[in-house]
Amino acid sequence: MRLRRDDLHVLTGSYALDALPDAECEEFERHLRRCTSCDAEVRGLRETAARLAMAAAVQPPAELQLRVLSAAGRIRQLPPPDGDARRRVPRLRTRRPRHGRLGWPPRLAATVAAAAVAAAASLGVAQVITQRQLASARASQAAIVAVLTAPDARIQAMRTSVGGTVTAVVSARQHAAVLTAAGLPPPPSDRVYQVWVMHGTGARSEGLFSRAGRNGPLLASGLRPGDRIGITVEPAGGTARPTTPPVVVMPLAA
Amino acid sequence: MTGMNRPEARPGRGSGPDGGQADLAGLLAEVARGDHAAFEAVYRELSGPVYGVIRQVLRDPAQSEEVAQEVLLEIWRTASRFDPARGSAAAWAVTIAHRRAVDRVRSENACSQREVKAAAAATAADVADAVEASLEGQRVRRCLDGLTGLQRESIRLAYYSGYTYPQVARLLGVALGTVKTRIRDGLIRMRDCLGVTS
Repeated sequence: MRLRRDDLHVLTGSYALDALPDAECEEFERHLRRCTSCDAEVRGLRETAARLAMAAAVQPPAELQLRVLSAAGRIRQLPPPDGDARRRVPRLRTRRPRHGRLGWPPRLAATVAAAAVAAAASLGVAQVITQRQLASARASQAAIVAVLTAPDARIQAMRTSVGGTVTAVVSARQHAAVLTAAGLPPPPSDRVYQVWVMHGTGARSEGLFSRAGRNGPLLASGLRPGDRIGITVEPAGGTARPTTPPVVVMPLAA
Repeated sequence: MTGMNRPEARPGRGSGPDGGQADLAGLLAEVARGDHAAFEAVYRELSGPVYGVIRQVLRDPAQSEEVAQEVLLEIWRTASRFDPARGSAAAWAVTIAHRRAVDRVRSENACSQREVKAAAAATAADVADAVEASLEGQRVRRCLDGLTGLQRESIRLAYYSGYTYPQVARLLGVALGTVKTRIRDGLIRMRDCLGVTS
């Protein structure tokens, strides 16, 4: 059964909400190619539907980010469509510094390294990143990548007592873990979250999570069976040993 | 930013769908050139809406995470196909997410229509909670409140629960033509209330 034109036009709303059954959807899309007023209306209603989606935004689990960003390095991208001269790709300067001209290879290493470089830069830690800093970042990021891609890598996560989740990708074989956190509340002023490897006799610092909500990735290496990951709130710059009760202590499944 | 002349004032960038809209389009262009740092920024902007809308439709957290991962990687893979002349980057991305979620639910629910009614009842309440939570949610909520009951329920069941309009008509016990019209009228009213320009 073919629908009359008026019937088709009223389907703009249902189409924008993906609520058309398959057969009608195909017919409507044929109509859409010829009907410029329908097309304009659909665009506005799609934007409206997007607002419905924004209103329902929920932060996904922290480990999804690691999985997505590392998988992207293994997926070839589609080329731009052919013969599309009218298409103008906006070239925007963002606050992020450029690193692309340094020629990172399109591998997983680049994913994590670039992410870390962007993180450092967005923190104002480094407005200008020197070649040497990049080389050293690349070395430590390579170690992170080695853990993330280890055949025995396992993900574990735990909520902290102040909210948010700390996630560890652990490779028992490499005695190492990559740590990130999401949803931690900002620490009090002049305080930072410090990350520790805790063992029977004490704790050694593995570094600081930033104040700007960019928590990790941090590499903890030299792990031994029974080690736990702890996070404490410490004075800015960190301390030699924990001075406050941890907000989370996560045993590492060996 | 474009929000200046909108009926509902919007806070700064990053807090709404197009708080950083031009930014997001620019980032997608960089993603299309293989820029991983840009993709991480896109992830930060879009993972919440993508995961949220998939959760609304699918309900199951583990399945939602799986589909969200597919969608976010699809954004990476097809970034070169995003055309800023045809709509916002956010709309492009959440359209992919919603379609993917709906595809999943329709293939699974084809044989289990009996469950439709129970799920719909639960969904309406859950959606109300989630949508209440954020600022953007409050704006959308106010605009939803301005609709007639039938417009509102039709849009909710179609979008947040992922039903086709004939399924919505059956759930609400109204004629097909009525639902088609109410969805369109209601969405147009939402568009105007939210000050959406296209």
